[in-house]
Amino acid sequence: MSKGRFFKTAAIAAALALTVSACGSDSGSEEVSGEINLFLIPSPSSTSIQSFIPEFEAQTGVKVNVSETPYGEAHQKQLLSYNQKAGAYDVAQFDNTFLAPFCQAKVMAPLDSYIKNSGEYDINDFGPGQQDYGKCKGETLGLTLSTEPMIQWYRTDIYEELGLKPATTWDEYYDNAKKVQEAGNGGQIMGFGPNVSWWWMTLLWSFGGKLYDDNLNPTVNSKEAVAATDYLKKLLSVSPKGAITATGDDTTSKFLGENIGAMLNYSGYYGMALDTSINKNAGKIGTAPMPIGAVDITHLAGWNIGIPADAKNPTAAWKFLEFVLGKTNSVKYLESGAAAIGRKSIISNSDLVANNPYLPQLEIPTSSRIERYPQIAVWPEFEVAAIDAVTQVLTGKQRTQAALDALNEKLKPILAKEPR
Amino acid sequence: MNSKLKVARPTSFRSRGLRPLAHFTIPTWVLLAIVILIPFVYGIYISFLSINLASILPPEFIGFKNYATVLAASETWATFRITIAITIVGLALQIPLGIWLAIALHENLKGTKIFRSILITPMLLTPVAVGLTYRFMFDTDLGVINWVLGGFGIEKVNWLGSQTSALFAIILVDSWQSVPFVMLLSLAALTAISPSLYEAARVDGASNRQIFWRITLPLITPTLLVITMIKIMDFLKLFDTLFILTRGGPGNATTTLGLWTYKTGFIFLELSQAAALGVIIALITAPVYFLWRKASRGVR
Repeated sequence: MSKGRFFKTAAIAAALALTVSACGSDSGSEEVSGEINLFLIPSPSSTSIQSFIPEFEAQTGVKVNVSETPYGEAHQKQLLSYNQKAGAYDVAQFDNTFLAPFCQAKVMAPLDSYIKNSGEYDINDFGPGQQDYGKCKGETLGLTLSTEPMIQWYRTDIYEELGLKPATTWDEYYDNAKKVQEAGNGGQIMGFGPNVSWWWMTLLWSFGGKLYDDNLNPTVNSKEAVAATDYLKKLLSVSPKGAITATGDDTTSKFLGENIGAMLNYSGYYGMALDTSINKNAGKIGTAPMPIGAVDITHLAGWNIGIPADAKNPTAAWKFLEFVLGKTNSVKYLESGAAAIGRKSIISNSDLVANNPYLPQLEIPTSSRIERYPQIAVWPEFEVAAIDAVTQVLTGKQRTQAALDALNEKLKPILAKEPR
Repeated sequence: MNSKLKVARPTSFRSRGLRPLAHFTIPTWVLLAIVILIPFVYGIYISFLSINLASILPPEFIGFKNYATVLAASETWATFRITIAITIVGLALQIPLGIWLAIALHENLKGTKIFRSILITPMLLTPVAVGLTYRFMFDTDLGVINWVLGGFGIEKVNWLGSQTSALFAIILVDSWQSVPFVMLLSLAALTAISPSLYEAARVDGASNRQIFWRITLPLITPTLLVITMIKIMDFLKLFDTLFILTRGGPGNATTTLGLWTYKTGFIFLELSQAAALGVIIALITAPVYFLWRKASRGVR
């Protein structure tokens, strides 16, 4: 072998070795082809995802098909499809409340190896607690598609006029609401209707209570739970009359359309505040962290998105997720109208904060314990029973302790069904 | 005479020479079997299995366990009571109102045609659209109903916030859509009554009240029975309006058996238990169906 030929061969070998090692360290450079099917649930997040499809198709040559199913039947349809091992979807959006049933049914593929090898996704751009948002039993089954902590919303004009500041404790929150109500407005609002469980469990955790213990025994009649439920009822007295039937959407619409001092709600609703056809109080909406009770907790909600275990083209599916939810397109993703994802790089982006003043609320301090929807498969049944009991208290049909004692008994056989 | 009668009443296909034509109905029977019979039988079958959508365990045959579970659940009985309450109050409101409107229209007064057209409009709307519209109308803070009441100095009513008022609202909305149906069928029955009967009664000096109780009501009773049976079946499967209006709330205060079945199957993911509830509803509805068939023969 001549000297020149030797160097040429060595150079090619070195280049090949570098290429192979580069491929090993970043799955992003893996070749993808074919087509992928997305299962999306109509929401600002799904609309944003779809806006990236033409660019992704042009870059990769992968054809992307979309199927949208309304929230009410979306998860049931997914489970039916997964049970049949139909391989119908390569990427699927789901609510974090369904993470546990999906986990129990083993229908989603673990994403940890993809995440570990992806510099583009960069999991370290998320706060420590938020990195686990899509985790179940130690495995990441879904990426964060939206970060929606329960936060305090308030009317800056009303608060300024009455000399009030956003509450830092629950006592302050009630006092503020009382003063706003006495001034002729709605004191505060939250959904006391079919979604009352969202607020009830938030207060229960904040007051130091638990829904169930480590052995899955219900603990909803503890003194903390009773205090939280009583406080919830107390807040009803400083809320507009219609709040008793309000859903999460109604609550936001009322707050944005009427004169109500404050609201406790998920940050994900801020998209409605940016819509001036809904928000009659544009420019007068402030946000602050949720008041702190006996325990500093953050109730974190939001969408997940993952790759079903029976996906036919998981590599292309990951490539798509990386493309839409990776660091490069994260600003574009938010600007296309989606509920924000709590990346540190997004929260700290001053240009973005100027247009989305709620973004700093997505930074959850390490001192605050993150509480997600209970990660149990029987949660839907648990929730319906809890809503019924809390409603009995709110409508004055039952005393708090009696209603929660009865609920506790009712939850025992429900929780007993949960696999240990 | 007898042989003539036999010739005059050819009831079977064979005697009427229609047997070859009967084969043309086979596709319809096949289609009906696919869309009704097979799902129904399959529903009964899965009610004996242990299907939970979130479970990885393969379904097992568990006999009547699902029936025992749903019948032991207090919610089943509570929602059944709510269903019965809505049915009774709904019928008590809709049948008399429908008859009264039919009689008024039967008089052929001025403007009857326009009034009739307006009255049947609610029947043309989808229950979901009606539910959504009324949900806004019943809103405590922004609803038009409270706005009108406010004009009379009446304080805001939280229509959907308590069991009694929410049930009242549901029945009111259903009545708005169903009374025209009762009215139309009653009107058809009224039209079939010979005017000579009324003339004879008037000649005999009968009052309007006597004419109603002695002639009109007895003659339209078979039709009313049919309407009642259809309405009972409607109430037993009431879902869409109710779901949009209250979602069964506050709490479970307006959840009917049909809505509870939905929650069991699609919220709790207990498909087999939901199938068992579906079979129970079918069993409750079956006697009503047979009564309806019997009443229908009376109308013919």
